[in-house]
Amino acid sequence: MAEPAVRRAQRRRTPTSTWPIHLVLGVAAVVMVVPFVWQLLTVFKTTSEVSRVPPTIWPNEFSAHAFETFFSTVPFWSMFAVSVGALVLRVAGQVAVAALAGYAFARMSFPGRDALFGLFIAMLMVPSQLFLIGQYQLIRDLGMLDTLPALAIPGLFSAFGTFLMRQAFLNLPKDFEEAARLDGANPFQIFWYVMLPMVKPMLAALTVLTGLYSWNDLLWPLIVSPSGENRPLPVGLAGLQGQFGTDYPTLMAGALVCSIPLVIVFLVLQRQFFRGIANSGLKG
Amino acid sequence: MTNVTAKPARRPAGRRAGGTQPSGWWAVAFVAPATAGLIALYVWPFLSTLVKSFQDVPAFGPATFVGAGNYANLLGDAEVWKAFGNSALYTVIVLLGIPLAVALAALIEQAGRGRTIYRVLFFLPVVTLPVAIGMVWRFIYNGDFGLLNYVLSWFGVDGQYWVADPRFTIYAFGVVGIWMGLGINLIILGAGLQAIPKAVYEASALDGAGRIRQFFRITVPLLSPSIFFVTILTVIAALQMFDLIFIMLRSVNNTALADSKTIVYLFYEKAFVQFEQGYGAAIAIVLLIVIMIATALQFRLQKSWVFYG
Amino acid sequence: MKHTWTAALALTVAATLLTACGGTGGGSNEKVTLTYANWSEDQTPAMEQIAAEFEKQNPNVTVRIQTLPWTEYWSTLQVGVAGGTAPDAFWMLADHFREYAKGGALVDLSDTVKSAGIDMSVYPKAVSDSYTYEGKIFALPKDFDTNGIWYNKALFDAAGVPYPDDTWGWKDAQEAAKKLTDPDKGVWGIAAPIDPQGGYYNTILQAGGTILNADGTAADFAGPQAVAGLKFWTDLQAAGSSPTLKQLSDTEAVAMFESQKVAMYFSGAYWALRFSKNPDLKGKVDVAPLPQGVKRATVTSGIGNAGYAGSEHPEELKKFLAFLGGAEAAEIQAATGTVLPAYKGTQEPWLKSMPEFDLQVFIDAIDYSVPLPVAGDTAEWQGLAAQYLAPAWEGAKPVETAAKEYQDAVNQVLAKQ
Repeated sequence: MAEPAVRRAQRRRTPTSTWPIHLVLGVAAVVMVVPFVWQLLTVFKTTSEVSRVPPTIWPNEFSAHAFETFFSTVPFWSMFAVSVGALVLRVAGQVAVAALAGYAFARMSFPGRDALFGLFIAMLMVPSQLFLIGQYQLIRDLGMLDTLPALAIPGLFSAFGTFLMRQAFLNLPKDFEEAARLDGANPFQIFWYVMLPMVKPMLAALTVLTGLYSWNDLLWPLIVSPSGENRPLPVGLAGLQGQFGTDYPTLMAGALVCSIPLVIVFLVLQRQFFRGIANSGLKG
Repeated sequence: MTNVTAKPARRPAGRRAGGTQPSGWWAVAFVAPATAGLIALYVWPFLSTLVKSFQDVPAFGPATFVGAGNYANLLGDAEVWKAFGNSALYTVIVLLGIPLAVALAALIEQAGRGRTIYRVLFFLPVVTLPVAIGMVWRFIYNGDFGLLNYVLSWFGVDGQYWVADPRFTIYAFGVVGIWMGLGINLIILGAGLQAIPKAVYEASALDGAGRIRQFFRITVPLLSPSIFFVTILTVIAALQMFDLIFIMLRSVNNTALADSKTIVYLFYEKAFVQFEQGYGAAIAIVLLIVIMIATALQFRLQKSWVFYG
Repeated sequence: MKHTWTAALALTVAATLLTACGGTGGGSNEKVTLTYANWSEDQTPAMEQIAAEFEKQNPNVTVRIQTLPWTEYWSTLQVGVAGGTAPDAFWMLADHFREYAKGGALVDLSDTVKSAGIDMSVYPKAVSDSYTYEGKIFALPKDFDTNGIWYNKALFDAAGVPYPDDTWGWKDAQEAAKKLTDPDKGVWGIAAPIDPQGGYYNTILQAGGTILNADGTAADFAGPQAVAGLKFWTDLQAAGSSPTLKQLSDTEAVAMFESQKVAMYFSGAYWALRFSKNPDLKGKVDVAPLPQGVKRATVTSGIGNAGYAGSEHPEELKKFLAFLGGAEAAEIQAATGTVLPAYKGTQEPWLKSMPEFDLQVFIDAIDYSVPLPVAGDTAEWQGLAAQYLAPAWEGAKPVETAAKEYQDAVNQVLAKQ
């Protein structure tokens, strides 16, 4: 940690020297949250009030009609359940698949390893929209359209996770592995009992990132759930916009309600989120 | 601290660390699920897109081979060039967010108490649904009753139709792109900052270096691997920008859409709206090539500015 | 603890994959489920009522209604058809129809029409014709719409302008629009977006234009009549009687009308339900016929109910489509005020469901209605309009030039066929 020393040194010179920093950061933070504040204020306005020129800052009278419209149009709870279900499946599957493969790429030798890993890296670079048609055809051939797992399946095998987990395993010292091997543990036991616990920070990172991707995904769920069953929140929200094009209070209410679950999770687990993201950029 | 992107230097050591013993069937069992999935869900769809890029694929019915015809058309298609230009412009704008993120990350590290609060506030857009973000900003950008023009009017600045006037749409997206990505970049850069040995700062403080000087002489060079990593991620994500335009322009009958398409949006439109999957596939393949070149270029350039301590 | 957790995850994944492999089995022969897709939440209750009625008469069939967002409807349908999993029955539009019919994606209903004794003359000819391809019937008309002037009585009263009526010509409309416009209050006389169906198609026809030539091989947007029809709108823009194109991009014309910022909106019958349900507009809105140019004209089109050629239950599907095209389904739509049903003689309940509007205007318009122009990949060339015509609307290019460029672009699309 660099900053305590710096701070100490600075404090000795000028005890109040952090206030300009707080000033700059404070202004930046206000800019960051203004859109959310504006969204919150809009939610309580009436449709006619939001199109007034110039806009009113504070709602003339607080109206709950936006929430009523939203909840009577969008089956929020069932979509919420779908979003959560898809997220759990995708995160769990991705972590398991990626940890196994990442471990093999980092710590085992087998013919064609580097070429195979090269294939994973190559797929990382390909824009995801390019896979849509083929993935759709596979899900259809498996008879899984409109099912919850269909939402999660392509994400399970994303090369990204394997890449991250390989990075984490690459960085571990070899001593533990060898000790365990001498004790007669088989490779899976070494992986499970010795190595996996040591990359927990990266597992957390992968969980956070995969969770975010899953929660935010719009295009794939649209394509893979044609019947309208098992549709997650972003799809519901996009549909709301199609229907209420410019009824901004209702749109803002929908945007707020659909975003809030993840925001709450984030506020509770923010330390894990930050550590997770940081780990994705650094070796575990 | 060693960055992901420092990997080439580290790889031989890593390989030797665990890779000496032949693992045979165990290795197969470990990589089989990921590999099977990768092939079925990524490699095969990729190859089928590649094949399609050489075909005329009607909406329904059999495809016919047209050789490089799609690619030839693409070269002469002003719409495609326009879309590539828009994507490039968007990428450049979003890249401007990186110096901003570096400066803010350094400030946050020095802020002492309240650091967590700043991180949380800056991170909020990251955990907000992109669809929701698109809606909120579309409202803020509204030319008649949007918040942005209202705030500008306080300063006597004339408002614009930010997402209805093709002169401004890409810039409007760029601002949202920076706003959305700042939180993640701050965390990655913050972790890089924390890994800089404090002794370096102490030494330079004793030499009488001020904060600004320290920032440019110590922070930026020692942080360069993280900056590089963030740059790579930003460029790849920016070239694939889709959600914002999808939510902000497409839902209404917006005449600015024609001039504001990004390359991925154009691909989506060709392949899924206009029944031209072959042409769409060719656009996607070209995008892939552009991303690969951009990434390779950055790896080339990094040698001149990224400092591995 | 954490080991069991991880193991549970692994199990979940394995189970998921196993289900994946076992999920292909088909249903039993007796119970059949048909899916029926639409893009309108507003109409979904009526669609459900119709489905329930069909289920009552056919106990072995279950109908599942799918409502997709309009912005995703066509892409989802296309992927579904290309992938062999489209909904069994779905709404079709004339401008998309030909591509689907040509591609063999739709069930041929010609025999069903014969065997079920459906009399095609109960539908407006303009609509039923637009769902016929190479002599075969691929969809039965569900509803139809003609265009009229939706107007805000309160704004007319405030400006002291008499309401539109059937004596109006173009001049009357343009002059009224000018008088109704009050920049200080943020009110405009009319909304003049680049809207083919509610807008310039009608005025081109009213000016004596044809839009397409007789065999659909070339477009006419640059001829003198067509230019006159386009000028009706660009003149309104130039006079400042309408919000600018940019404003209409930010906020759709219909939303402008609903927030009472524009006094007139030329559009179809399909808004009736929405306007009627909007409390802000209570008692303020009515509808009048489109103004006359050289002659009276309106384009007409309607949604068709089509079936997917790859459906697993073709017999039940045909039966369902015949039911959708029948009088009962039409009456449900009319009684719920949902839309103007295509079936002759069932329109009365629709008129009565919203007595506050002079809806007879839309039915009278059938007499002078012209089918929506379709040829080739209509959706594609129609989609180019905004891009090519915007400079004319914004006054950046003469109408003649923009129209000529658009015409060339359309002809290029038509030449691909």
